[in-house]
Amino acid sequence: MNAEKHKEQSRRRAFGRALLRGAAGLATSACIIAILLLPCRAQEGPKPDPSGLTTGDKTSVVDAGGNNFVVAEPTDKTAPDYAQKKKDFDEFQAQAAKEPLAVKLADATGHIRLATNFAWTLNTGYLVLFMQAGFALLTCGLVRKKNAGHLMMLNFAAYVFAFLAYYAVGYAFQFGAMAVNSAPGNLGGTPTLNHFLLGSGFWGFLGGKGFFMAGPAYDAGSNVLALFEVVFMETAGYIIVGSICERISFWSFLLCELFIGAILYPVFGCWVWGGGWMSQLGNTMGLGHGYVDFAGSTVVHAVGGFCAMALSVVLGPRLGKYGPDGKPRAFPAHNLVYVVIGTFVLLFGWMGFNPGSTLGATDLRISVVAINTNLAAISGSATAMLFWYWKFGKPDITMACNGMLAGLVAITAPCAFVGPTSAFIIGILAGLVVCLGVLFNDNVTKIDDPCGAISVHGFCGILGGICLGLFADGTYGAGWNGVGATSYLGQAGKGVTGLFYGDSKQFLVQLMGAAICAAWAFGATFIVFKAVNAMKSMRVTKEVELEGLDVPEFGIPGYSEDAMSVSAS
Amino acid sequence: MKKIEAIIQPHKLDEVKEALIGIGVQGITVSEVRGHGRQKGHTETYRGAEYTVDLLPKIKLEIFVPDARAEQVIGELATAARSGKIGDGKIFVSSIEDAVRIRNGDRGEGAL
Repeated sequence: MNAEKHKEQSRRRAFGRALLRGAAGLATSACIIAILLLPCRAQEGPKPDPSGLTTGDKTSVVDAGGNNFVVAEPTDKTAPDYAQKKKDFDEFQAQAAKEPLAVKLADATGHIRLATNFAWTLNTGYLVLFMQAGFALLTCGLVRKKNAGHLMMLNFAAYVFAFLAYYAVGYAFQFGAMAVNSAPGNLGGTPTLNHFLLGSGFWGFLGGKGFFMAGPAYDAGSNVLALFEVVFMETAGYIIVGSICERISFWSFLLCELFIGAILYPVFGCWVWGGGWMSQLGNTMGLGHGYVDFAGSTVVHAVGGFCAMALSVVLGPRLGKYGPDGKPRAFPAHNLVYVVIGTFVLLFGWMGFNPGSTLGATDLRISVVAINTNLAAISGSATAMLFWYWKFGKPDITMACNGMLAGLVAITAPCAFVGPTSAFIIGILAGLVVCLGVLFNDNVTKIDDPCGAISVHGFCGILGGICLGLFADGTYGAGWNGVGATSYLGQAGKGVTGLFYGDSKQFLVQLMGAAICAAWAFGATFIVFKAVNAMKSMRVTKEVELEGLDVPEFGIPGYSEDAMSVSAS
Repeated sequence: MKKIEAIIQPHKLDEVKEALIGIGVQGITVSEVRGHGRQKGHTETYRGAEYTVDLLPKIKLEIFVPDARAEQVIGELATAARSGKIGDGKIFVSSIEDAVRIRNGDRGEGAL
C-alpha cells in the first residue's frame, strides 16, 4: 500500500514538474514573441478585417481562366509588353468610367466569390476535423483491450495540446509570411501576414506574424486559413499516436504534441505552403514549379510518419513484441469493428482534406481531386487485400484498411495534378509500399509500429511527393508558386508537370523535397526526444505496461465492466 | 442422480438444446468457457506475424438427471454435438448426492 502511495506521489510530482516545465516554456516563448512583435508594430501596412466587411471587392473578381476583372496599372516601363499593358489599363479605366454600375456590381461579385470560397474551405475543414474521430477509432481498435482508454486519451489530448501550441506560435511560424510569396487569392490574400522571422523574399525560413492568432491574424480571411490549417496540423499530431501507443507515458506525449504543433509541423509547412524557400525553388534555381505538395502527403503525413518513427526508435518496442529469438509476435487488434468504421470516417474526412486544399469552390478542379482521391483509396486497398491473400493465404482486415489509407496518403500530394489512370496507379504503388513497409519494420528494422503509422503516413507520404514529380500531367497549376504564369515548357496554360510528361526538373525537386521532409521530421524529433528521454524515461514502467496503461495512467479501464471492483451502489 | 457435464463447440449449442428439450430434459445450465485439448489450439497470422490461438472458446453444459435417464441424455447429447471433426468436445458423468429446490425445500430427484 505504501509503495503504491509512494508511486502515486512520485507520478504526481513528475506530472507537476512536466507541467511547470511546459508553463515555463510557454512563458519564455511568449516573451520572445512579444519582443519580436515590437518592430512589427512600428510597420505601416495593410489592416486586418475582423468583421469581414471589406474582404472581397472588384479586385477579387476573376474569370474561369484566372484573369482579373480589374486591369492593374503596369509599373515596369522597361518590360517589352509595357505598351500593350498600358493600353489595356487605359481601356479598362475608360470603360469603368463609362459604366460605374458594372464596377459596383463587380464589388458585390467579388464579395460573393470569396464568400463561396470561405464556405467551401470552412466546411471541408470541418470534414478534416472529423478525421480525428476516425483516427481515434482506428488506432483504438488496433491495440489490445487493456490499452483502449489510453488510446482514446492520447487521441483526445493530441487535438487539445497540439492546437494550443499551434494557436500560440505554430500558425505564425507557418503562415506569418503567407502574403509575401503565396497569397491565397481565393481567401482574399491575407495581406496582413507579410513578415518572415527568418529569411526574406524567396528565401524565407520562418513566418513571423499572427502569433496567438491575434493582431494581423485577427482577420476574416486569415481565420478561414487558420481553421483549415490547424486541422491539418492535427492530422500530423495524431499520426504519431499509432506508433508510440501502449508504452508512452502521458506527460511525455504532451511534450510530443506541443513540439509538433509549435515547431516540427509549422517549420516544414512554412517552407512548402507558407511561401518559404522550398516552394520558391522554381524562381530561385529553376527547378520546375518549386517543391509542390498539393494537400500534404509530405507536409502533413510524412512529417507525422517520420516523427512517429523517431519517437518509436527512442521508446523501443513494446514488451513482448519480439521473442527471445528476435521474431516479431502478433498483438491482435481488439476491435475490428472500430478499425473499419474508423477507416471509413477517415476516407470521408479525406473528401475535405484533398478537395478542400484548393481553398475555394471557385476552383472547379475540386471534382477531379475528389475522384482521384477515391480511386487511389480503392486501388490501394485492393492491392493490400490481394497482396496479403497471396502471401499469407488470408486477406488481413487491418491491412485492407491500412491499404486504403496508404492510397489516400500517397494521392494527397498529386491529387490535383494527375489524371484518373495515374491516381489508380499511385494507389497500387501505395498498397504495395504499405504492405512491404509493415513487414520491413516488423522483421528488418524492428521498429515497433502497432498501427502501421510509419508505413502508411511516412513511407507512403514520401511516395506521394515523388509520384507528383512523375505523374503530374500539366493540365492544372499554371503559375503555381509564381512559375510559368503566362507559359511553361513553351506552352501557354501549362501547369505543374512531372517526369513522364516532360519536366525532369520537377521530378528532381520532388525527390529533394521528399528527402528533406523525412530528414527534418526524423532528425529534429530524434534529437529533441533522445535528449528528453535521457533526462527522464518517456516510457511507463514495466509493471504498468504489462497491466495495461488505462488504470495506472488514467484511473479507469477503457471498458469499465472489466474493473474488478467497480461498485455502482 | 447424475451430473452430465459436456464441453461442446459453440455453434452446436442450438442443436444440442433442441435435442435435449425434445427428449424432455427439464433444465440445463450453459456457460461460455475457454480451453484446449490434445491439439493445443492452432496458429494464425496477424499483420504478418504468427500467433497461437491456444485457448479456444467452447460451451460448457451442465445437466442434472435421474439415474434412469442418464444414458438416453448422454446418447442424444453426443449425437447432436457431433460433427466428426477434431474439437467436438467431451462429456463427463458423475454421481450427485442430493439436490434442493430453493423455493420450497424439495429434496432428491423430486427437486430436479
